[in-house]
Amino acid sequence: MSTRWYPLYQRGNPQLRVFLPNFWMKLIRPTPKQLKNIVHFQCSMEMTKCDIKNYLEKIYNIPVIDVRTKITMGKFKKEVGKGYVIKDDDRKIAFVTLPKNMSFEFPDIFEKVKDQDDENMKSLEEAKKSFKSFINRNKDRKDVPSWFTI
Amino acid sequence: MYRWKIHRFYLKRLSRQYSQVALQNEYSETPEYPPIMDNSLQARKSRKRESLFEKIKKLDTVEEKQIALNMPRYYGWQCVMLHEDTIPYNAMPMIKCYTRSHFIPVENLPNAYADTAVAAGEISKEVKTYIEDAIVMETDGLERDFILSNEKPINVVKEDTIARSIVKQVNRIISNHLGEKVPHLLSAQVDYDPRHEAFWFVGGVDIPTSVFKWRKKYSWYKNRLDENVDRPVQYLGSPFVALRSRLPLKPLIPYSEAENPDFKVPKFSFGPQNVGYFSRFRYGTNIPGFWPGDYDEFGFLSYHGRGHILARNNYGPDDNIEALHCQAMKSSFGWLLAQSNYQGFTTYNDLTYPLITQTVITNGQLWSFYAYQLNTVVMHNENMDLNPKHNICFGTKPLKLYETIEDGKVKGLNEEVLKMLIQFYLNTPEEREHDLKPYLGKEDQVVADIVDDNKRCWLEDTYKHLVSNRPRHFLPPETYLWEKIYKIQHNTRFHEARRRPFELDINPFQRRLNEHLPPYIPKVLRPYPRSKKKFETTYYPDV
Repeated sequence: MSTRWYPLYQRGNPQLRVFLPNFWMKLIRPTPKQLKNIVHFQCSMEMTKCDIKNYLEKIYNIPVIDVRTKITMGKFKKEVGKGYVIKDDDRKIAFVTLPKNMSFEFPDIFEKVKDQDDENMKSLEEAKKSFKSFINRNKDRKDVPSWFTI
Repeated sequence: MYRWKIHRFYLKRLSRQYSQVALQNEYSETPEYPPIMDNSLQARKSRKRESLFEKIKKLDTVEEKQIALNMPRYYGWQCVMLHEDTIPYNAMPMIKCYTRSHFIPVENLPNAYADTAVAAGEISKEVKTYIEDAIVMETDGLERDFILSNEKPINVVKEDTIARSIVKQVNRIISNHLGEKVPHLLSAQVDYDPRHEAFWFVGGVDIPTSVFKWRKKYSWYKNRLDENVDRPVQYLGSPFVALRSRLPLKPLIPYSEAENPDFKVPKFSFGPQNVGYFSRFRYGTNIPGFWPGDYDEFGFLSYHGRGHILARNNYGPDDNIEALHCQAMKSSFGWLLAQSNYQGFTTYNDLTYPLITQTVITNGQLWSFYAYQLNTVVMHNENMDLNPKHNICFGTKPLKLYETIEDGKVKGLNEEVLKMLIQFYLNTPEEREHDLKPYLGKEDQVVADIVDDNKRCWLEDTYKHLVSNRPRHFLPPETYLWEKIYKIQHNTRFHEARRRPFELDINPFQRRLNEHLPPYIPKVLRPYPRSKKKFETTYYPDV
């Protein structure tokens, strides 16, 4: 269901407008100790348990046994440089139970990124090292510009 | 050695205020050293726990043991609530583990019932017509008012109401018919809608994520971030009818079989909220449908409803049958555990002999039969892995007692089902050769036996008040949300005096049951001539 208002009639095309529901679900990483047939979602606040069940069954053909939902409070934090306390939005979390013979494992999306990160860190370390050696070499002559070095 | 002697010499000279004869056997031939103890944190903790178990074991009366179980928590334990009729999807592995039960699906009753098969067959023929009449009368012949509530759907209430009255009639017919032939039924007590409650600790359950995050902040938790803590579990149930007898039933299998590794129950370490069981603060109670001191204290047979199956989301027929098995294991274990508590055992002090009960789950037409043998009740902490004993539950699928009711007649009554039910009634309780109450006092076994008036009345009042689970007069202290935001998470009110419990590093939920001021004695009521005793004596067990 959409929370948008159907607009007033206006001349011109296109007349046929499609209203997508503002229902969405985001798969989130479950807590570490969890039954294998339970999947965690963050979903839009307007969705009820029935909506969640229908969303998964009708769009993605996932057999859903049971849905439990909870609303978690957003984090409180201080606005940087301002000093007053602000709050993140609350989130609705859905725990979806699949049939007991099914299991779901949260995919490791950033596997490749991790390797890249390691490489980046390595080059950074090397750069740091060469800079340190440069400083060490020139510690006795602070006033001399860098291009002067042989 | 020399220095020690001199030291002792002077010590004696200085400290001895009166003359005494020197001990003759002060020295022995071989030196006697105190036992070397493991002083690691784990070992010290476990020794402390052991001493608590010993203290509870040494208490004399049933009520004192029950108060002792609740001593560490002023506001009650945060119990995992196992209601008899709340069974989420796929609850079987968890229920098996929490009740430590090995489930054996059977077609017929186990071998222990083989002797009574022939007699039961004859009796079932005799009572068949009466039972048919009762079923017709209770199902169609009466106009009923159903009590509606928001808690249960109407179809559940209807089914349970009809099943309750059918069960009452069936029990009346069979008891009356057998009363002359089998004496144990004549003296058996019948409870209608009794209160069955049981409380125990389950170890080996994963800690919640919030606790894990909290532990990460402290260096001393570094090596034991995952360490389990005991989960208090509370069972609440109410059968339609329960029969009790003065003597316990015969074991279904020998007690030595309890340690058979074939009966090992797989561990279920995921938190109960993953399955769909949630927790509540309350005092742990063990009540098998009567108060301590009743003579008929061994369960014989209990009838439970199965209306809750209709209220479940449609998880499929297999899961519904599993749910019935779960209900049977929960209710049988719960009732037997409560009975064993009245025999002086607790969740900390294990049973020394098996206890048996028989459970029937029915809606009037479908009947499932369960026989349960309780071998062990200890499963707290490391005992979850180390305790070799397991409980055993035999159970049948739901069987149809009759096909339909047409024109005021029952069609197709299945005598085999009736026979099984009668076999349950013919199972005779027996005298046991061993001591049934090894952990209770010789003279005082229940509070009513205590001679001291003050102590007896105080313990009775306290016990009854505790198990009534009324809320405390003052609500537990609450950390308000504004305090959490502006005092705990962000220190914005540093100028204010620190008076709230969280500012004084006090956790109100760690308060012990006896940490309160006893009732004040007004001056006029104090004993004549002069008494400085301002407060009444309390008799909390010393654990």
